[in-house]
Amino acid sequence: MNRTALARLLVRHPESSALVAAAVLIAGFSVISGGVWLNAGNLQSVLHVVAVLAILAIGESFVIATGEIDVSIGSTFGVGAFLFLGLAPVVGVVPAVLLAIVLGCAIGAVNGYISSYLGISSLITTLGTLFIFRGITYLLTEEGAAFSISLTDRAEMAAYGWFGSGTVLGFQNSILWTLALAAVAHGVVFLTPFGNRLLAIGGDRASALARGVPVRFVRLMAFVVSGTCAVLAGVLEANKTGFADASSGRSMELEAIATCVVGGCLLAGGRITIVGVLLGALILSGISSFLVIMRVTPQLYLMVLAGLVVLALIGDQRLRSWAIRQR
Amino acid sequence: MPDSHSLIEMRDIDLYFGTFHALKNVSVDFDSGELVGLVGDNGAGKTTLINILCGLHTPTAGEVRFDGARIAQFHPRLAIENGIETIQQAVGLCDNLSIARNFFLGREPVRRLLGIPMLDFAAMRAASGKVIRTFGLRDSVTPDDEVAQLSGGERQSVKIGRAVEFKNRVVIMDEPTNHLSVREREHVNELAQQLRDQGLLVIYITHDIFQVHRIADRIVILENGEKILDAAKDAMSADELEGIIRDGGRQVQAGEHRDARPQGGAT
Repeated sequence: MNRTALARLLVRHPESSALVAAAVLIAGFSVISGGVWLNAGNLQSVLHVVAVLAILAIGESFVIATGEIDVSIGSTFGVGAFLFLGLAPVVGVVPAVLLAIVLGCAIGAVNGYISSYLGISSLITTLGTLFIFRGITYLLTEEGAAFSISLTDRAEMAAYGWFGSGTVLGFQNSILWTLALAAVAHGVVFLTPFGNRLLAIGGDRASALARGVPVRFVRLMAFVVSGTCAVLAGVLEANKTGFADASSGRSMELEAIATCVVGGCLLAGGRITIVGVLLGALILSGISSFLVIMRVTPQLYLMVLAGLVVLALIGDQRLRSWAIRQR
Repeated sequence: MPDSHSLIEMRDIDLYFGTFHALKNVSVDFDSGELVGLVGDNGAGKTTLINILCGLHTPTAGEVRFDGARIAQFHPRLAIENGIETIQQAVGLCDNLSIARNFFLGREPVRRLLGIPMLDFAAMRAASGKVIRTFGLRDSVTPDDEVAQLSGGERQSVKIGRAVEFKNRVVIMDEPTNHLSVREREHVNELAQQLRDQGLLVIYITHDIFQVHRIADRIVILENGEKILDAAKDAMSADELEGIIRDGGRQVQAGEHRDARPQGGAT
């Protein structure tokens, strides 16, 4: 492959570097851990973590595409988990999931309305809602409400295993939900007018506005997608563990943003890749489980995460400026 | 002239921004098939006047008629509804998107798949590819290339081509040749004349009287928010016009008001 073709590949497929990184890391983890990382048991648990993180990050990537940020998804995740666990025994599993989705849309709409129609910075807006929703989950647990469903109860609930805890052909269905959602998200971003406008706003807001793109509405919808995905991720996690407490989803917003960056999304907006987000989730979850297997203190994970994000940002900038010079 | 009217008629336009009097009793007409040079120093009110046409400002007083119909409500969709396209140096194309995606941004052609609107890439590539070939972009450029790769002149060509493709009636070029090389500037000016020859109204905004004098049919000069001159190009040389701009229109205001349009205009 000549240099121009390589440059073109890097510009058109920003997930290429994440693909290489994922392959190298998986090979490295497997060898260093003496094959433990790659065994079926560990892979299953890695894949569930990948699934939950990827869904959060896919939602986040819609907001990042417009050049904004949503840091409220960590506590939105917690709210989704609470809502599912609280409602499922009362109204049934499927209605609980649907209600949670509606709430996710509403949370996203609030974030989107405040930041795009009232003109408050999205970082400040969602930092505020991050703490508000976290506060709500604390209040709920202090009231003594039980947010857990026992294994025996789960067995009696119709359709309980559909949303994260069951398996299909030996795969946990959470990963299948994620792949389905990723396929839809990829289609929306790259094949629809909405996606075209989403990327245009992040690339050059003034030009998008000049072409008649309803900038504020599109941005609001990006937050709706983000809120909905965060709630879904919370539902899948709660369904799997049957339990949630006030700290559910804590710092998940940072992991989701890191996943996007490592996957090849541009924080400044205008460029995202759903395939890259999946790879980014695989890389992050892989590192986390590798640290566990190697008995490294879990506190180190956040440091490794931060280092990885900085590396990804520097590497991305270098690669991209190199690729542009090749034209 | 009983029933005939100009495509755009602006009458006694006044505009205040707070206490700042940005436009002072400006009246000007624009016709289809003419290339009008709208000239003036920075801050003379050129872009402000155009922003009224595009619905971005509401005049404090005065009226605007488009194709004979009085504009009652000024809003940002006005330009799109009336087929007015503005071409500016810095705005109009998103660097991160391909030419085909930029071309149709905001009015994407769709094919429905199970009722869901999906981008019609074949139509997008065909239309933008045609423009790339007819408006003089490099042969190596394809509709799938990102706009980031284009030169300044090529970007302007894409915007002009887009204006034609969407069957606009008015193309406003706001300092379209800033930062362009000499050859690219010539190319953009040729395209402006082509648009005029196709029957469009072209309003060419610049502070460079020599550049626009060569291509325009008529020159309108604004100074401090006032129209100080509205003359057919042949009525004066570029040097004379430059003299008027340099001296701030003092001699014109002193009673020597020259309105050399064939059928009069403002009095």
